Amino acid sequence: MTETHDVLIVGSGHSGGMAAKVLTSKGISCLMLNAGPEADYVKDRVAVAAHDLPYRGFGKPGRLAHVTQANEYNAEQWVDEKEVPYTSPTDAPYNWVRVRLLGGRSLFWARQSFRLSDFEFNAAEIDGAGESWPIRLADVAPYYSQVEQIFRVAGRREGWPQFPDGNFVTETNLNLNSGVMRKIVELAKPRGIPLSTMRSSQGINGLASSINLLLPDAMATGKLKIVSNAIVREITTDKNTGLANGAHFIDRHSRREMHVKARVVVLAAGTLESTRLLLNSGIANSSGVMGHYLHDQIYGVRVLASVPEARGGKAPAGLMGGSAFIPRFRNLSKNDKRNFIKGYCMMIGGAASPVAGDFADYGEELQKKLEHYAGSCVSASIYGERVPRFENHVSINKTVNDEWGIPVLHIDVRDSQNEVNQARDAADTAEELFRAAGWDVIVKTDKYHPPGYSIHEVGTCRMGDNPKTSVLNKWNQSHDVKNLFVVDGSCFVTCGWQNPTMTISALSMRASERLADLMKAGAV
Amino acid sequence: MQALAAAPAVPALAQQVRPAPPSGGRSSRGALGVEQGVKEFELTQPDAVADPAARFFTPAQFGALKKLSDALMPPMSGNPGAIECEAPEFLDFLIGVSPVEQQQLYRGGLDALNAKAKAKFSKSFAELDPKQVDAVLRPLLAATPWAWDLPKDPVRRFIASVRTDVVTATRNSPVWAEKTGTRGRAGQLKWLPIDPVYKG
Repeated sequence: MTETHDVLIVGSGHSGGMAAKVLTSKGISCLMLNAGPEADYVKDRVAVAAHDLPYRGFGKPGRLAHVTQANEYNAEQWVDEKEVPYTSPTDAPYNWVRVRLLGGRSLFWARQSFRLSDFEFNAAEIDGAGESWPIRLADVAPYYSQVEQIFRVAGRREGWPQFPDGNFVTETNLNLNSGVMRKIVELAKPRGIPLSTMRSSQGINGLASSINLLLPDAMATGKLKIVSNAIVREITTDKNTGLANGAHFIDRHSRREMHVKARVVVLAAGTLESTRLLLNSGIANSSGVMGHYLHDQIYGVRVLASVPEARGGKAPAGLMGGSAFIPRFRNLSKNDKRNFIKGYCMMIGGAASPVAGDFADYGEELQKKLEHYAGSCVSASIYGERVPRFENHVSINKTVNDEWGIPVLHIDVRDSQNEVNQARDAADTAEELFRAAGWDVIVKTDKYHPPGYSIHEVGTCRMGDNPKTSVLNKWNQSHDVKNLFVVDGSCFVTCGWQNPTMTISALSMRASERLADLMKAGAV
Repeated sequence: MQALAAAPAVPALAQQVRPAPPSGGRSSRGALGVEQGVKEFELTQPDAVADPAARFFTPAQFGALKKLSDALMPPMSGNPGAIECEAPEFLDFLIGVSPVEQQQLYRGGLDALNAKAKAKFSKSFAELDPKQVDAVLRPLLAATPWAWDLPKDPVRRFIASVRTDVVTATRNSPVWAEKTGTRGRAGQLKWLPIDPVYKG
């Protein structure tokens, strides 16, 4: 008879790693199951030139059709779409970008580190539509502070309510000293556009992952066991109590089916994998909300303006360079009437170059044009907040199984006019700013990537006080199954324009501390 | 994560910094026979000793692709062009193993170029002089600020796609590396298959 573990954690990324770190620190024994293997950064990578690659850098055609971030160098880090497929309507493509290596997507994230503000937590009141979170910034702030210490977040304190300051270990200086950025400063202020800098996790040696910041502490307690290549198929429940009592998993190599017993189950497999697992298990969905309100951020809009005196490599010293990060500045007051709700942030780059696709030319003429404009441009792009909508949902496609015989997800997500209007406003704003500076706008597009591209998918098990309209309570605990917690991005009510990692990690920490208290009190 | 100059699409996951492994795949993983004192052989890449056999496109399509490749990526600034780098031959291979949608895009696009050349100059596209090539090609060009958002018209879409593909196939070729003196440089780090599923 195998042992019954205190807590089973499914998934090893930031949310699972945080749960393991917190729970083991309180003396609770945890078993972590991870669907993929552990990568060896030395043995599993080699330096190779593009001309020595079988596909000259193109990658194997069709292998990762939905991972536009993939190339021949990084192809092995992503989940193989043929091994673990998903379906979506032909007129509604979705880019589901996944990593199953130990540490999950925390191995490769861009480390942009923001807090949500009460403009997001209190979204219904601000937007006049949708739902608010059952918690506010004040509830999460103490946990954000701890997470920012662990991840060693660098940033600049601004005191702006839509851009809450963090517990920064390093103060970042503004990068606005070039000629073009001084011009941006001059023009942005009267337009009510705030300028700051990026906030970023420094981690250790440039890595801010579960595998170096969270799991080592958990392992050091002697209270964590990790099983890799364990693909969880179903959360099992006690027939009498309805409580979770373990999980069935499949060994990735031998395909042997196993069962593990646990007193508590914590799901941290990533928004869509956790939801897929729950839907396949047929539990925790008395609300009927599970799988709904899937959303992420729009990534896109490109505006590129060339500074005339900088062309042909003749930029005077100090003219080009610098960068600015513009947090949300739309819909912050009742007086700001727009044809969209919510907002976006904008990144301004002060030494950009066009790419070949920007011009309708070819051959030597194109090459000369690219050289002429190289480094002479100022660029703008955005991350915008999509609206969480009930109709954007996932369900189980019972006609398609993955490599291990597990039914796959069907993802049905479409954008609304709100996203279109938001992107259009951003493109128009950047264009007006650049033209006012006297620069020539050579590229302007308000197009943005398809849903999923941001790799910030959230929702589908949203939290709330009402069990009829939410899957989880405000502690990430299932309304239906009291010993089931879901601590990844699926708990989000609305995503904001911010990278969600700090919020996911803070909420996982908060939920895990609550769980430890409940276990100590015998309430779970 | 800021917009990259070479790739306007902003990847949401950036590679984080980790210690670099030793360069060179084979020696870093240990060659069979090292313990017995057997030296590692210097192996030859197939492109150095053999010509690729074009076999996917029809002769008429391949002729159009060669002419198009020469126009899109001619020899410039002392660097070799697409023809010398055998970019058309490589694309014949690449498109031949691509999903059927991409194959149809290329075949349809090359057929359309031949049809337009025939209608306008009573010649195949491969037989056109540079001015005639320009007369056929220029109306089909479109600016495509996002690589994933190509024109809906299949011929213009093909042109937008092949314009990038020819440049990549040229610059990432062994001939380009040889002629530009970049042969033998270590290159980027590539993930090898990580604990691939056991086949028994």
